[in-house]
Amino acid sequence: MIRPLTRSPRPSPWALGLAVALGVGAALPAVAAPLDEPLKPLPPVPLLDAATVELGRQLFNEKRLSVNDSLSCASCHQLATGGGDDKPFSLGFDGKPVKLNTPTVFNASLNFKQFWDGRVDTLEAQIEQVVISPVEMGSDWKTVVDNLTAMPQYQAAFSQVYPDGVTAANVQNALATYERTLLTPNSRFDQYLLGNTDILTIEEKYGYQRFKEYGCIACHQGMNIGGNMFQKFGVMDDYFKGRTPAETDLGRYLVTHDEEDRNVFKVPSLRNVAVTAPYFHNASAKTLEEAVDVMFRFQLGRVPSAEDKDQIIKFLKTLTGQWAGKPL
Amino acid sequence: MRLSRHYVIQLLLGTATLLLASILVFLYIKSSTDQTSRYTESRDLIRQMQQLNAQWDSEVLKARIALTHNYDPLVTPLTQITRIWEELRQHESYHAPKDLPGWQASLDAGQAAIQDKARLVDQFKSHNAVLRNSLAFLPTAENDIQAAFTRLDDEQRLPLQSVATDTYDLLLSSMEFAQVASDDRAAEILLGLNLLAVNKERLPADFHLPVEILSNHVALILREQPLVNTLLERIAAVPVAERLDELTTHLNQDQQAADLIDQKYHNYLLVFSTLLVALLLYLAIRLLRSFTVINRVNRALHTANASLEQRVEKRTRQLRDAQSELLDSARQAGMAEIATNVLHNVGNVLNSVNISADLVARKLRTSKALGLGKAMQLINEHPDDLGTYLREDEKGKLLPGYLNQLVEAIAVEQQGLTDELAQLSKSVDHIKDIVSTQQSYAGVSSVLEPLQVSALMDDALRMNSGALNRHHVTVVKEYADVPQIMADKHRLLLIMVNLISNAKYAMSNLTDRPRQITLSIQTVEDNILQISVKDEGEGIPAENMTRIFTHGFTTRKEGHGFGLHSCALAAIEMNGRLTAYSDGPGKGALFTLQIPLNDAAGPA
Repeated sequence: MIRPLTRSPRPSPWALGLAVALGVGAALPAVAAPLDEPLKPLPPVPLLDAATVELGRQLFNEKRLSVNDSLSCASCHQLATGGGDDKPFSLGFDGKPVKLNTPTVFNASLNFKQFWDGRVDTLEAQIEQVVISPVEMGSDWKTVVDNLTAMPQYQAAFSQVYPDGVTAANVQNALATYERTLLTPNSRFDQYLLGNTDILTIEEKYGYQRFKEYGCIACHQGMNIGGNMFQKFGVMDDYFKGRTPAETDLGRYLVTHDEEDRNVFKVPSLRNVAVTAPYFHNASAKTLEEAVDVMFRFQLGRVPSAEDKDQIIKFLKTLTGQWAGKPL
Repeated sequence: MRLSRHYVIQLLLGTATLLLASILVFLYIKSSTDQTSRYTESRDLIRQMQQLNAQWDSEVLKARIALTHNYDPLVTPLTQITRIWEELRQHESYHAPKDLPGWQASLDAGQAAIQDKARLVDQFKSHNAVLRNSLAFLPTAENDIQAAFTRLDDEQRLPLQSVATDTYDLLLSSMEFAQVASDDRAAEILLGLNLLAVNKERLPADFHLPVEILSNHVALILREQPLVNTLLERIAAVPVAERLDELTTHLNQDQQAADLIDQKYHNYLLVFSTLLVALLLYLAIRLLRSFTVINRVNRALHTANASLEQRVEKRTRQLRDAQSELLDSARQAGMAEIATNVLHNVGNVLNSVNISADLVARKLRTSKALGLGKAMQLINEHPDDLGTYLREDEKGKLLPGYLNQLVEAIAVEQQGLTDELAQLSKSVDHIKDIVSTQQSYAGVSSVLEPLQVSALMDDALRMNSGALNRHHVTVVKEYADVPQIMADKHRLLLIMVNLISNAKYAMSNLTDRPRQITLSIQTVEDNILQISVKDEGEGIPAENMTRIFTHGFTTRKEGHGFGLHSCALAAIEMNGRLTAYSDGPGKGALFTLQIPLNDAAGPA
C-alpha cells in the first residue's frame, strides 16, 4: 500500500482516490474486485502440518491398505488424470469391477457429504468404509494397522505425528489431511471470478450465461460448483425407464429407505469435469456432450439450441484447474 | 503425671491443627474448581450455535425467495454447529451428578433436532432448487408459446385465441400458486393443465414441444410448491432454538446450584479458617510463653556458666601457682641434693682426716720418744760414773743398744707421722677441692669454654666418689682420645653427675654380681661427641622407656622426677640429645649423650 504523501491530518478526497487507485493497482495489476456470482472460486489450499500431509501422501500410495496388497487409493484416484479412474468402473482388490463410477478425489474435501449417496459426512469416514469394503480394498482395519506397524518407516512417521502411533483413526486422519490439500485452484474460470474477466473468451462467457439461464446453476453452484446438495436423478422425466435396473440406481434410498430419496444422489462437482469422463454414478455418459444432453432432458426439461449447448460445454471446459502447478 | 498430661495436650493441639488444615484444603479444592468460566464457555458455545441456527434459518428463507443460487451458506452453518456440538459434548460443564441424565437427554434431544433440521434442509435444497428453476423458467416457457402464436397468421390465430388466453391464465395461476399454495389454486392449475393437454391437440405440431415443456414445468410447480412449503413449515417447527434454550436454562440452573454449593463451601471455609486462625493464635501465645521460659532458663544457664568459668580460672591460677611452687621446691630440692652431695663428700674426706688425726695422736701417745726419757733418767742417775755405768752395770750395758734401737724406732715413727700428716694435708686439699669445685659450678653460667671432657668426667666422678666408694662400685673408664671442646661446663657436668648418680642408685639393690659403671667418651662421625654411662643395674621396663625423660617421672621413693628431665632439657639446650637404652628389667641400662663436637682448637 502506498501512503499518500500529505501532511494534512485529513487527506483530501483526491489524495485518497489516488491512494486507493495506486493501492489496488499495485495489488491486482490485471483488474478490479472479484465478481459476486453464484459460483465461487476455490478457497486457498489449507496450510496443514507438513509431516502429516507427507504421511498421508505415502499412505495414499500404499498398497498394503488393501487385503492383498493390490490396491492403493491412488490406484483408482489417479491424480495425474483428474483424480478419478480411467475405467468406467474401477477394479476392486479381486479384479472385479465395482458398481459405481469412481468420483474424483480432487476438491472432495469441499463436498458436503461423501460417496454418490452421501452416506458419510467426512473424508475420514469415507476412507474407513473404502478400506473395509468387500468390493474395493477388502481389508479390515486391524490388518491394515498391523501391516503398517510392521514397517519401520511408518512407525517412525506415525510416532512423529501422532502420540499414539499407528491406529486406524490416525491412518484415516493422515489420509484425510492429505486429501484436504488436493485442491485444483487457478482454473481459468476461477481467475475470471477473481476479477480477471479477460481470461475467458466471449463464447465461454456466453456459455456461463447460458449455464445460469438454463438453470444448471440451480444445483451446480457454490465454490465446488456442485457437491452441496442432493438431487433426484430424473426431475422432469424418468431417467431409469427402459434401462437395466441396478440396485445402485436407488441412490440415497439405500441409506434412508425413504421413498423421498429414491434415485436421489449427491450433486457432483463440475470442477475438472472435462477430464473426469465418463459421467454419472453408472458411468452411462461417455462424453461431456452426452452428459449435458441427459441433464437438459431429465433434470431441466428444456431443449437447448445447438449453439447454447456448445457454449455451455465450452464454459464447462474452463473449470479445469491445476494440481502440483500443472493443468489437469 | 504432669508431663504426660502436657504431652497429651500437645498431641491434641497438633491433631486439631492438622484436621482443620485438611478440612480447609478439602473445602478449597471443592470450591475452587472454576465452574463459572466453564459455564460461561458452554453458554458461549450454545450462543454461537443459536446464532448459526438463526443464520441457517435466514439462508433458508433467502433460498426460498430465490435471492441466492449459492447453497454453500446452507451447508456451512450445519458444519459449524456440528463442530461446536462436539466441543460442547467434550466440555466438562456439568456439576450436579444426579442431574447428569437430564443434561444428557437435553443434549441428545438437541442433537436429534439438529439432525432433523439438517435432513429437512437437505430436502428443501433439492426441492427448492428445481421449483425455483421452473418458476424462473415459466415466463420464458410461456413466451415461447406466445411467440409461436405470433408466428401464425391471423386466420390461424383467431380460433386459437382462447388457447393463448388459457395458457396465459395457467401461467398466472401458477405464479399465484407460488405465492399462495391453496388447494383451490391447485385445482385450478390442474384444470388448466388438463385444458392445455386438450388444447395441445388442436394446435399445430410445432406448438407441441413448447406446450409440453410448459405443462411439465407447471406440473413440477404444482408438485413441488406444496412440498417446499411443507418443508419450510417443518423446518420452522424443528425446535432447535428451543432445545438450545433448554440447554442454556439447564446450564443456568446448574450454575445457580453450583453457586449455592460454592457459597456454602465459602461459608464453611470462613468458619474453619476462623477456627484455624484462633488455634494458631493460641499456639502462638503458647510458643511465646515457652520462649520466655526458655529465655529465663537460658539466662540462668549463662550465669552459671560464667561463674563456672571464673571458678575454673581461679583453679587454673591456683594450679599454676602450685606448679611454680613445686618447681621452686624442686629446684631447691635439686640444690639441696647437690649440697647433700657436697657435704657427703666433704664428710667422707673429713672421716679420713679424722682417722689421720687419730692415728697421729695415737702414734704420738705411744711414741718411742717416751723411752728416750726413761733412758735419759737412767743416765741422769749416774752423772759420775756414767762410763762405768755404761760399761759395767747390767742395765747400763744395755743402754746404748736400747738407744740405738730407739733412734731407729723414732725414725720409723717420724716417717709414719710424716706420711700420716701428708695424707691429712691431702684430705684437707680434697675438701678444699670439693668445695671449690662446687663453688665453681654453683653459679648459673652458660658460657662456652674450652673443656677436657675426660677431666670433667673425673670431676663428676669425684663429686660422687664418696657414694661410689660406699656402695663398692667399680668404675671402668673407656676414654677415647678426644680433643678439647667448646661446651657449657655446668650443663655437661650436671648431666654427668646425674647419670652417674642414677647408675649408682640403679645398682644399689644389686647383690649377685659386681657393681660396675662403664663410662665411655668417644667421637661419632667426627662431629659428634658421645658420652655414655652404662650400669649393670635394675634396667628399665619397656613401658617406662618413653616416660623416663618426662617431668615428674621417678621410680625412687624419695625422688623428684626431676633429674633426667633437666638432663634432657640441658642436652637439648646444648643442641644435643640424651637417649636411654635397656634390654629390660634387670639387664642394666645405657644412657647416651650426644652433643655437637665443637673442637676448641679448630673453628667452631
